[in-house]
Amino acid sequence: MSEDTGIYPKLNFEFGTVHPINQTKKYILDILSSIGFNNISGPEIETEEYNFDMLNIKKTHPARQMHDTFYAEDKKYVLRTHTSPVQIRAMLNNKPPMSFASGGKVFRKDDDATHLPMFHQVEGIHIDENVNFAQLKSLIFQIIYEIFNDDIEVRFRPSYFPFTEPSAEVDILSKEGKWLEILGCGIINPVVLENCNIDSKKYSGLAFGLGVERIAMLKYEVVDIRDFYKSNLDFLKQFK
Amino acid sequence: MKIAYSNLINFFEEHPTIEEISNHLFQLGHENEIVGDILDIEFTPNRGDCLSLLGLARDLGVFYNVIEPQNYYEDYIAPLDINFKNHSPEDCPNISFLRIEVDEIPKKYKSYLEDYFSVFKLNKNNFFTDISNYIAYEMGQPTHCYDISNINGDIEFISDDINEDFETLLDKKITLSGKNCIFRSNNEVINLAGIMGGKSTACKKNTTNVLIECAYFKPESIIGKAQKYNLHSDASYKFERGVDPSMQEQVLRRFIKIVSDHTNIKVVEYTNFLSKEPPLKKIKFDSQKIQNIIGTQVQDKIYRDSLTKIGFEIKENEIIVPTFRHDVVHQNDLSEEMARIIGYDNIKPVSFKINKIKSSKNIDKENLLRYFFASKGFNEVINMPFTSRNISSLRIDNPLDSNRGFLRTTLEQSLIENLLYNEKRQKESIKLFEISDIYSINKDGRVEVDKYLGVVVSGRVGNNYKEFSLKLDSQYLVELFKIDKSEVFEVSRDGLDTKIKNKIFMVLLKFNELNEKFDKLENQEIQKINFKKYDQISDFPSSTRDLSFVLSDEIKIKKLEDIILNFKTDNLISAFVFDFYNNKKNNQIKIGFRLTFNSKNKTLTVDDVDSEIDYIVKSCMEIGGVEIPGYTK
Repeated sequence: MSEDTGIYPKLNFEFGTVHPINQTKKYILDILSSIGFNNISGPEIETEEYNFDMLNIKKTHPARQMHDTFYAEDKKYVLRTHTSPVQIRAMLNNKPPMSFASGGKVFRKDDDATHLPMFHQVEGIHIDENVNFAQLKSLIFQIIYEIFNDDIEVRFRPSYFPFTEPSAEVDILSKEGKWLEILGCGIINPVVLENCNIDSKKYSGLAFGLGVERIAMLKYEVVDIRDFYKSNLDFLKQFK
Repeated sequence: MKIAYSNLINFFEEHPTIEEISNHLFQLGHENEIVGDILDIEFTPNRGDCLSLLGLARDLGVFYNVIEPQNYYEDYIAPLDINFKNHSPEDCPNISFLRIEVDEIPKKYKSYLEDYFSVFKLNKNNFFTDISNYIAYEMGQPTHCYDISNINGDIEFISDDINEDFETLLDKKITLSGKNCIFRSNNEVINLAGIMGGKSTACKKNTTNVLIECAYFKPESIIGKAQKYNLHSDASYKFERGVDPSMQEQVLRRFIKIVSDHTNIKVVEYTNFLSKEPPLKKIKFDSQKIQNIIGTQVQDKIYRDSLTKIGFEIKENEIIVPTFRHDVVHQNDLSEEMARIIGYDNIKPVSFKINKIKSSKNIDKENLLRYFFASKGFNEVINMPFTSRNISSLRIDNPLDSNRGFLRTTLEQSLIENLLYNEKRQKESIKLFEISDIYSINKDGRVEVDKYLGVVVSGRVGNNYKEFSLKLDSQYLVELFKIDKSEVFEVSRDGLDTKIKNKIFMVLLKFNELNEKFDKLENQEIQKINFKKYDQISDFPSSTRDLSFVLSDEIKIKKLEDIILNFKTDNLISAFVFDFYNNKKNNQIKIGFRLTFNSKNKTLTVDDVDSEIDYIVKSCMEIGGVEIPGYTK
């Protein structure tokens, strides 16, 4: 116990930490918010209709198989495999122009050294007249330069997502000279717009999605994704 | 998919290097790796048409002049009289059969066939199955060969609930269940359509009389079966991604040609059962629309030429999509074709502005609450939602394992597990919180969702001399968060896997009821994120030592602190003042430091820690006028 004296040792009051994944998620959403995206959220338990059908993910798509997606209550529900259903609800409830971003937990039936059954995504959509792929590229550069540095090397390569067409995956060049995939994006498939009662002849849109764990691992140089979910205080306390 | 460079270049007039082809494949969206003479390519699931030499060459046709080096049997083929009934043409709209009887089985294969097996280090099966496998590689169309001598009766294609045993040609016995597409003959399943044939009708090394089946199965009729029965095959992979519905006769003519390259054919007969022509897809030729989608200039001529080179036909103002391109339906699909051809990295970014709208308050509140708890010394955890406990819980149909068959209906169990995990790692002051949605099933079978805040505490209040001797309790939480005493509950340690006796206290509150309790959150400061490199944590246990100094000169308090709190050794990971007492009457100051040691590589021995302690003590003693009663080196 201390007594009144002119000199005391440092009290060393310990601050706690917000989980690094939630810090990173907020960081990305704040960047998107500063660009003009409106943050929204939605349910983690979805239906096949919102998680797949509305997004033009056909019954034959491998992602819909039981080995990739968690189903619940005799397939009445799906543990959302991406945050895209949140965007679907936003498109159904709003009229263009619109710009929304959402972040949260998503689930895939994976569990190994590099994949977890639950992880976090941030997605964004922007719908207006005359939205095009060249604009999407500009936006993606803006986001990546903000998260990393504006001297980082970025490349776009064609990919496939049923809900975007054209679709792209975007890589950055690491310090070690390796290309690392960091996000997926594309022009919203007109079928998806029509599913959400948006006139695809008048409007077009862009969409993108980032894995929060991926960004956090790159920024903090965390090697093992599983460390985020061990709840180890030695780990968590480092992210002050 | 693996493609041999030496095979692929036969399809081009030019002679590009493997690196050049690799770069072009990459531009087209086909990630690949060069391994010697092999291109190991990963195709997106919508590009089943590329899963062959022919298909890949077609896609590269925008860069090279494609020639088809393979020859086909061009002569008349006699009709095959076969008793076949297609009971489900909607699942199999097009199927052809070819009967071939040969004089003898060749002893050696021609170089193109032999090379296929040697380059990819594949085992040969029998003459006809070997050709079937080669053709799937060359043309992308799986075929199946039956030994005719083992087919005793009519053949039927059926899509129905099938519950019976089936033995594959690879000797694997499975029990079919639920809806399956099968071929049946003489009351026996002889082929799980599009996946794998049966053992009873499989060809053998001496088979000379075969029936070859070449079909188009709709992907939705096949998908999931290979996974379900763990019968992954090249055929199932291709059928699931969609084969060309109109190339079956061409493939079988190629089959005959390869057989005739090797041996004398005694009999060849063919028949086709086409229930529906593949739909002809037409899209308006509209280069302006393509330009609008990509956002870069697309000249009519380049657009026209590019599409023609990759198999599209352009008639007046219409683009006719080739039957092998299941993925092309509308203008956006064509725009992707052009974007790939131009090269994504060659499309110049065009900046634009988004009009800002105010953000949702609810999300801000959640973050404010997080930073409020962090400012009070709490650490946030995020837990997986899966549990084995069923308390009106959402049941997972296909869990990872039986311990994760439900979604948790409370944060309690996860937080207790987090607490015990950290206690096992010698943590003496544990303050954790989690914010998460919780799901349950109500009486009507509907999902109910509530966002919860969970808090758990146990052990010492803090790692400093004022809080070290105080224990975390119910009152601590009540005063800190201004909540009602009834909202804090003690969790019994009975049944928990621990010998630690500290009491555990917990708070579980619904998020939407937090407003009144944390009403000054809007003033909560949100820390700027600090992306510093994290230090990998150790899996080994830590060791704790206390050093209690006695001194008389107050000035030396700071000197001691400066030395110990900033000391660097290999294994010292933390230090703090846990005890302080200034007895002015006796002019004696006591100050105690708690030091924690931990190695990333091993469990530290007593000697390991002692040597670092000695080093620290030696530095402290150099101050002069300080001593550690009872300390001996």
